[in-house]
Amino acid sequence: MHRFAVTHKLRIGGGIVVALLFLLPVFWMVLTSFKFQRDIFTTPPTVFFTPTLENYSNYLQRSSIPYQMLNTAIVAFGSGLISIFTGAMAGYALARLRIRGAGLLGVLILMSRGVPPIALAVPMFLVGRSLGLIDKHIFLILAYCTFLIPYVMWLMRSFFIALPKELEESAMIDGCSRFGAFFKIIVPISLPGLLSTLIFCVILAWEELLFAIVLTNRVASTVPVAIANIAGDTVNGANWGALTAVGTMTVIPVVIFALLVQKWLIQGLADGATKG
Amino acid sequence: MGGVHIRDVRKSYGNMEVIHGVNIEIPDGQFVALVGPSGCGKSTLLRMIAGLEDITSGSIVIRERVVNNLPPKDRDIAMVFQNYALYPHMSVRKNMGFALRQRKFPRDEIDRRVDNAARILGLEHVLDRKPRALSGGQRQRVAMGRAIVRDPQVFLFDEPLSNLDAKLRVQMRSELKELHQRLKTTTVYVTHDQIEAMTLADRIVVMSGGHVEQEGRPLELYDKPATLFVAAFIGSPPMNFFQGKASSGRLTLDNGTALALPADVSHVQGDVTLGIRPEHLRLGENGWPAVVSVVEPTGSETQITARIQDQVIRILVSGRTDVGPGDTIFLETGTRHMHFFDSKTGKRL
Repeated sequence: MHRFAVTHKLRIGGGIVVALLFLLPVFWMVLTSFKFQRDIFTTPPTVFFTPTLENYSNYLQRSSIPYQMLNTAIVAFGSGLISIFTGAMAGYALARLRIRGAGLLGVLILMSRGVPPIALAVPMFLVGRSLGLIDKHIFLILAYCTFLIPYVMWLMRSFFIALPKELEESAMIDGCSRFGAFFKIIVPISLPGLLSTLIFCVILAWEELLFAIVLTNRVASTVPVAIANIAGDTVNGANWGALTAVGTMTVIPVVIFALLVQKWLIQGLADGATKG
Repeated sequence: MGGVHIRDVRKSYGNMEVIHGVNIEIPDGQFVALVGPSGCGKSTLLRMIAGLEDITSGSIVIRERVVNNLPPKDRDIAMVFQNYALYPHMSVRKNMGFALRQRKFPRDEIDRRVDNAARILGLEHVLDRKPRALSGGQRQRVAMGRAIVRDPQVFLFDEPLSNLDAKLRVQMRSELKELHQRLKTTTVYVTHDQIEAMTLADRIVVMSGGHVEQEGRPLELYDKPATLFVAAFIGSPPMNFFQGKASSGRLTLDNGTALALPADVSHVQGDVTLGIRPEHLRLGENGWPAVVSVVEPTGSETQITARIQDQVIRILVSGRTDVGPGDTIFLETGTRHMHFFDSKTGKRL
């Protein structure tokens, strides 16, 4: 009992240390966003300073950040939802249907993720240009889907494999088609898995920079592009206050989204389906 | 008339044939058990009846309609799975009414049928619970309820009791039998438990290696097993076998004893296997001497494990006995309790 308590405390302590390590840069970013330019590079760095909202107000008023924020949301949620819808169905097919060469197909799709994104960005730009889709939201959404769908497919495939296949078989005997069984039985049961995968997809698309730089210009440009522009401002020099303020604003919606969805990630929803 | 007719059904996975031309006729309203060891093809056959597996060749007829190419939902069957496969996100009521909702039954009709099935199965008080809040026995009943509300042509059961503890299994077995007597729906029941098959079924089909070994009424299989496989499979504890050679109307067993063959098999020559059920061996004054190694009393009967030379045999005596390990006993039996099989073909002589 005593030993268990000690191990438990050690685990919690270790968890806190790891969490702090990961959160330190985020904390520093948020802190810096409230500093005047003169306080940012003091040596030694200071935690106590006169806070300001100047970085936020300047950028929210004068720049295209709110518009780019909206773009980012459209693209991230658009690509996330499309990827979840198609990737989950593909993952289900790989998990359940007897398709000749399904294993190889799955590996090939996964391998496509091994290609460096920069190698894909240029051909994608050429395709987009010839279709007249450069700087259009839909093209950035589709570009993100190319790397999100394999991700969803593989995550959901392992999720579906773990579900007893008798659930769909029972539904098909009860009057469902394969599609009906998938949408009426498998999807509701898999909601926790689908939602956590959606969170990851949205985050991945939210913070993506390379495709956004290459495939957008002004109309569909996203926040990471704005941050890169601030950091790479060769005329005025990098405005670190602005950079961290925009960075903080970028993180907040994702955190809110994750917290909102978290309550749906109820573990053990599938309990009781089978023997027990 | 209805019923299920399985005609020369074969199933192959690639080049490997796992069901080798099975023929079974199941008259309307009959309860048929498919039994056999793991991998004998009984579950595959059931899944082919359900439409969950394709049929490589042959035909399956349900109520005078060839169903080979019909999807499961159009076969008018209901199936209870070994792991119940209850929909975890639905209440018991919704689980039981799901098939009817799929078939666009009016709401009040669904409620009426679900309430009726719940009353039959004693599930009225759990109708609003989710499956995870039910005990194993209740889940099993919900799975049966889901089948009952459909009022289908055929019930298919795939080892439905094997996840229950021993006591509950016996109870559910009686409930299942009572249910069948009440509904009289054609039933195909897969099990590896021969006791379940014997107690529940009107007719048993014993399968082995993708073939039907024998089919018949439960006591027919017990009294006249057609093969060594059936003789060994049906009956618990299993039949004792003795190897020997027959010639000139006498059978000389490998343990040295000899006996006269009954008239109907007296012409047999060559290798013969003699089978005697444990309950047909009596402790007597004369007969085959055997040395007791284990005595297992259960109250109503006692199982004795003994050795004749190196061969282990089992004897089941009713009531109690005062023999103990190391004692020498003498075993007697009547000729009518002896089963003779051709050792090479395994066929009954």
